[in-house]
Amino acid sequence: MKILWNECWLEALRVFRNRYFIFWSLIMPIVFYVFYTKVMVQDVGDPKLWEKHLLMSMAAFSVMGSSIMTLGLRLVQERNQGWTTYLKTTPVSGAVYFIAKMAGQTSVHIFTISVIFTSGGLINGISMPAIEWITAGMWILIGAIPFLALGGLIGTMKKSDTASGVSNLIYLALAVTGGMWMPMEFMPKLLQQVAQWIPSYQYAAGAWSIIRGEAPGLVGILVLIAYTVVFMILSIQRRRMQEAI
Amino acid sequence: MTTIIDCMAVGKSFKGKSAVKDLSFQMKKGEVVALLGPNGAGKSTTIQMLLGLMEPSVGRVTISGQNPKLKAVRERIGVMLQEVRLLDTVTVKEILQLVRGYYPRPLSMEQLTRLTGLDESSLNTRTEKLSGGQKQRVSFALALAGNPDMLFLDEPTTGMDAIARKTFWKSIRELAERGTTIIFTTHYLDEVEVAATRVLMMNHGELIEDATPAMMKKKLGMQRISFLTDAVYRPETYQGLAATDIRIDGKKVTILTGNADHSLKILYALELEISEVTVNRGTLEEAYSQLTDSPEVS
Ligand SMILES: Nc1ncnc2c1ncn2[C@@H]1O[C@H](COP(=O)(O)OP(=O)(O)OP(=O)(O)O)[C@@H](O)[C@H]1O
Ligand SMILES: [Mg+2]
Repeated sequence: MKILWNECWLEALRVFRNRYFIFWSLIMPIVFYVFYTKVMVQDVGDPKLWEKHLLMSMAAFSVMGSSIMTLGLRLVQERNQGWTTYLKTTPVSGAVYFIAKMAGQTSVHIFTISVIFTSGGLINGISMPAIEWITAGMWILIGAIPFLALGGLIGTMKKSDTASGVSNLIYLALAVTGGMWMPMEFMPKLLQQVAQWIPSYQYAAGAWSIIRGEAPGLVGILVLIAYTVVFMILSIQRRRMQEAI
Repeated sequence: MTTIIDCMAVGKSFKGKSAVKDLSFQMKKGEVVALLGPNGAGKSTTIQMLLGLMEPSVGRVTISGQNPKLKAVRERIGVMLQEVRLLDTVTVKEILQLVRGYYPRPLSMEQLTRLTGLDESSLNTRTEKLSGGQKQRVSFALALAGNPDMLFLDEPTTGMDAIARKTFWKSIRELAERGTTIIFTTHYLDEVEVAATRVLMMNHGELIEDATPAMMKKKLGMQRISFLTDAVYRPETYQGLAATDIRIDGKKVTILTGNADHSLKILYALELEISEVTVNRGTLEEAYSQLTDSPEVS
């Protein structure tokens, strides 16, 4: 238990020391948020609702990004640097290492969600019942699991350059097609039709429902679970294949 | 004395190419073994199989009669792998604390810094900003973090400067006196003499020598007599010296011999115009080149 705590604490510390993380996961979402609610205000009907809606999008965008990129890249780098090999000579088990990584990442997410919610709330004076803030935050936290699994899958890649390129690409594609940067209604018809099969859309949509006083849809939850399972199976398979050599 | 490490007819091949062949040896508690051999001899492969990091293609390894992968074994061993392996974006102190936390009876921070010679400023440095030699010290500290009974060190002094090397071997001797069982690889003969109680030598994946350092030295330690001369003597002049090799490089003449005392006697008897006579022990490299020159036994 103490090992888990140490490992998790250090992991969180390492994430905060990473400049890319600070830029992509904290500064970018807040800058976007200010830009789309203060500078380039679109005509989206109820402006108060839009401000809340976009805040959820930004928090989801940030957490999804650090799940895919930070975790995946960390795993690749640590394997390439040989730290993972060194750990195999110590009494710490692979499972503890992995769980600690996830837990560290999750504590970082709690922090980013709080920062983004607070700054968004202050910038646009958003008021929501406490229960909505909390459930939306919880949703964004827990709904990130498929993206953590995707990070784990990216973590099985050999080269860190490939991993960083691929994860950037996937991240941006997911953000755009999930309607995190622009409301779905402004997107091409075709995309709107397939949107419900896109994990990032379902992830953000859950939070959008919550701030509208609704529960996240069952289909959305099932889609996210399905992606989690697929990503996990793929990464377990890849790990097996790599270990066999 | 009890057998701690038991390597039983172990072999390893990579894609049909064999790296280690039919290797068997035992290590007893408190032994300090130097594992020698030219590049590619199979030393690192052997260490990795002893640690259970690599599965032998044939044969078996036990540590204290157990599978080396067991947690109970891992709690008692310390390891420095050939390439330095550190976590980045953390300070040295943080990484040491983390790893100390993995073990039931870790060594105190004070002991670790004393044994490895890490100073306060490197303790507060991020691992990615350390120099190669400093990384090597941290790697040594990680190996000692759990207060191990056994140490596996693969080329531990690569990249260390003279002072770091001295601290390192002083600590190794201290640990050996406390009864720590140690196996290390090196390419420096003086390190063997300083620390080892036993020498294993590998070539082409096979164990070709299992001896004490003294025996080893005698067998391999070619001595090198060198001197300067202004007169140009023909190589035949030195023929009676029982030399295995004679090199003439301008004014400098180097003679490799198995028995320097004998050769020197003859050399002085020749009454040549020579100065600055020095005698050095041959290096491992010379020993290795002898090995590789000798015809292969198959
Ligand atoms: N993962 C691997 N895949 C394929 N071949 C390998 C692998 N690891 C080692 N070898 C081969 O096995 C042989 C022994 O390598 P090893 O690293 O054990 O040598 P070594 O004695 O440690 O050499 P050095 O002094 O250079 O460290 C070499 O021929 C090497 O090419
Ligand atoms: Mg090696």
